[in-house]
Amino acid sequence: MATRRFELAMSPHVGASQTTRKIMFDVVIALLPALAAATWFFGPRALLIVFLSAATAVAAEYLCLKFMKRPVSFALDGSAIVTGMLLAYNLPSGVPLWLPVLGTAFAIVVGKQAFGGLGHNIVNPALLGRAFLMASFPILMTAGWAAPEAWNSSADNTWGTSGIVAEEMSTIPMADAISGATPLNVLKQTFDLDASAVNARNEGNTAEAASLEERAEGIRSALSCKSTYMNLLVGRSGGCLGETSVILLLVGAIYLIIRGVLELRLPISYLGTVAVLAWVFGGSGWFNGDPLFHVLAGGVILGGIFMVSDMVTTPVTPKGRIIFGIGAGLLTMVIRRWGGYPEGCSYSILLMNLVTPLIDKLTLPKVFGEVKKNG
Amino acid sequence: MIKARSFKGGIHPPGNKDLSSKQPINRLPAPETVWVPLCQHMGVPSKPAVSKGDKVIRGQEIGSQSGFISLPTHSPVNGTVKSIENFPMPHRRTGPCVVIETESEDGGQVFEKWDDYSSHSPAEIIERVKLAGICGMGGASFPTYVKLSPPPDKNIDTLIINGIECEPYLTADHRLMLENPDDIILGMEILAYTLGVENCLLGIEINKPDAIKLMDEKGISVLPLKVSYPQGAEKQLIDAATGREVPAGGLPLDVGVVVQNVGTAAAVAKAVRDGEPSLRRIITLTGRGVISPANYDACVGTLFSDLIGKSGGYTEDVKRLISGGPMMGMSLYTDGVPVTKGTSGVLALTDDEVRDVDESPCIRCGKCVDVCPLRLTPNLIALAAENEKWKLAGDFGALNCMACGTCSYVCPAGRYLVHYIKKAQDAIRANKGREA
Repeated sequence: MATRRFELAMSPHVGASQTTRKIMFDVVIALLPALAAATWFFGPRALLIVFLSAATAVAAEYLCLKFMKRPVSFALDGSAIVTGMLLAYNLPSGVPLWLPVLGTAFAIVVGKQAFGGLGHNIVNPALLGRAFLMASFPILMTAGWAAPEAWNSSADNTWGTSGIVAEEMSTIPMADAISGATPLNVLKQTFDLDASAVNARNEGNTAEAASLEERAEGIRSALSCKSTYMNLLVGRSGGCLGETSVILLLVGAIYLIIRGVLELRLPISYLGTVAVLAWVFGGSGWFNGDPLFHVLAGGVILGGIFMVSDMVTTPVTPKGRIIFGIGAGLLTMVIRRWGGYPEGCSYSILLMNLVTPLIDKLTLPKVFGEVKKNG
Repeated sequence: MIKARSFKGGIHPPGNKDLSSKQPINRLPAPETVWVPLCQHMGVPSKPAVSKGDKVIRGQEIGSQSGFISLPTHSPVNGTVKSIENFPMPHRRTGPCVVIETESEDGGQVFEKWDDYSSHSPAEIIERVKLAGICGMGGASFPTYVKLSPPPDKNIDTLIINGIECEPYLTADHRLMLENPDDIILGMEILAYTLGVENCLLGIEINKPDAIKLMDEKGISVLPLKVSYPQGAEKQLIDAATGREVPAGGLPLDVGVVVQNVGTAAAVAKAVRDGEPSLRRIITLTGRGVISPANYDACVGTLFSDLIGKSGGYTEDVKRLISGGPMMGMSLYTDGVPVTKGTSGVLALTDDEVRDVDESPCIRCGKCVDVCPLRLTPNLIALAAENEKWKLAGDFGALNCMACGTCSYVCPAGRYLVHYIKKAQDAIRANKGREA
């Protein structure tokens, strides 16, 4: 018999069909429904911003890899596209078009490639890019909240909420006529009203204090009504591009679960913590907050599905993931209630990213059969 | 419906067992020349006990035991010793083989036949199992007599016979249970008698309902187990069967359990009842790289190429040849290697069957951590090993890894996790030796 030579390889010789590239493109697919919502509510400009971001991400990744003489095929593994899309999803629709380009380039070059590229970055590059833009261009980053459907001039720009909220929104300074406040801006206003009321009471001005408190309470109850919930679910509310429609984000989440990409410990512990703490201190006092409003408004659904669960920057141990989710949820709520920003999702995740290695180290699972005392 | 038990973690690779599971065991006569390895068992190879030109008879000791973890080797044929030389091995690079020209294959009974094993003492049976050269036939090839001689301070209360065969593709144990249940049952009884245990279970995965039914009808207490890889790994099987965790770095006997493969049980029955040493075994020849997959009863020393020749040859697109199963088996560059007592399968896989992913960086998805049956963090050990941080790899528990391959199987980045971890194990053991 003729001698035949066979290929040599390490065991195992068979394997699952899932690859990094498939995971990344699954995430891209899961982000598409939310992109449809962004386009519908904020106009074609939203689509343009997301496209610019994604294209910049791939280009920046390609150039970095080329410069560092690494295989440029990594630029097309889908991870850069995910970073670009997520950064764009964290921008208001009114930003000038160079902003997403600059932010994404920063995210890829400094946030990802400087650390060694895919798998080696310490913090979520998209969120780092957003933090960079927030620090550098705070006005542009917060003034461009377009009211939903404002691009279509016949729509009303108060996202259909009741009178008192619309009235409150008009007091929040905006860059131009088509801008609208986000629901969390409005909620933040009520905390300011509460603070003013306390001051007024201390100064002995009881009547003014009472009226301020009444106003704050009125706004809060208006926020916690069915029509607000519905608007938040559908996406008819001001905010970042990608966070607008909760329902369509959840459609993406279901797709990821079916494809075995979304690991549920992180999103559930994160969103669960946000909900519980919203009830504990998300309202005017203790134990009277509105968990549903806090979960639906702002970016926690987007963050919970796509950023808290980012594989690279979160713990690998089962326990560590739960701790990460709880920690990020706690920080989100503390920032929302007492911080300088109305929304705390992205900073909370960035801060937790930094302690991921520590969490991993402290939560290593007990090895099978590790000797139990007096076992 | 009986509730099937399992362990935590694990995966469900496609079984691919239907390629060969309906093929009855085909007893192959010994080929014209046999290459009998002197290191078919784990431990020290046996010392050659014959020299070139010697006439040998079937069952004659041609290699003598050298050391405690060692076994004698016997000639599977009547014939003449042509040479003793190094030869490619299924699990080692090369090893010494006694090359014998076959004249005939009758006889083989070299010990006294014991019709009633219970009239002999456990010590006599252990001696017989040792002299018969029986080692674990599930793959690891650990000398069986050592497992039957627990230190006196260990109280063994459970014997588990392993009929799980969790490696995809392999069907040798399955066929053996269907076609030769009585030998397995006698072997179980002898092993239980030798160890002095009452509680004796036969573990079978529920993807073999015919075997479960047959053994159940014969009055054996069958332990049905969920289909999950690596269900057949000793520690996972003991966990599923008894809820006991074998201590890290310890042995099953530390929790009062002995596990033996069904093939081993049948070999023990043959040695005790028929007085025949371990000369043959059941092998699955399968994969889409062979034209007709089959189950063979072949004598040790038969070359893989002989098996493949008997079956009808390779297909055009055969790519990889593996000794053992696809999860833990070794890939071979040549089919000119002999069958040993531990060869459970010969796999010829095509391009479509093997996984070929270019390795990319770990994305910390944590899938390996979720599936590891030993609750290790394979990605972290592998990263440490890649950077030659052996101490760190050891702190992550690298030495506990049994290389089952579950982590590499699920890794989306196609990382050679088992390879890195084995490398760490070698380095840690070598460093230990230096320090001591």
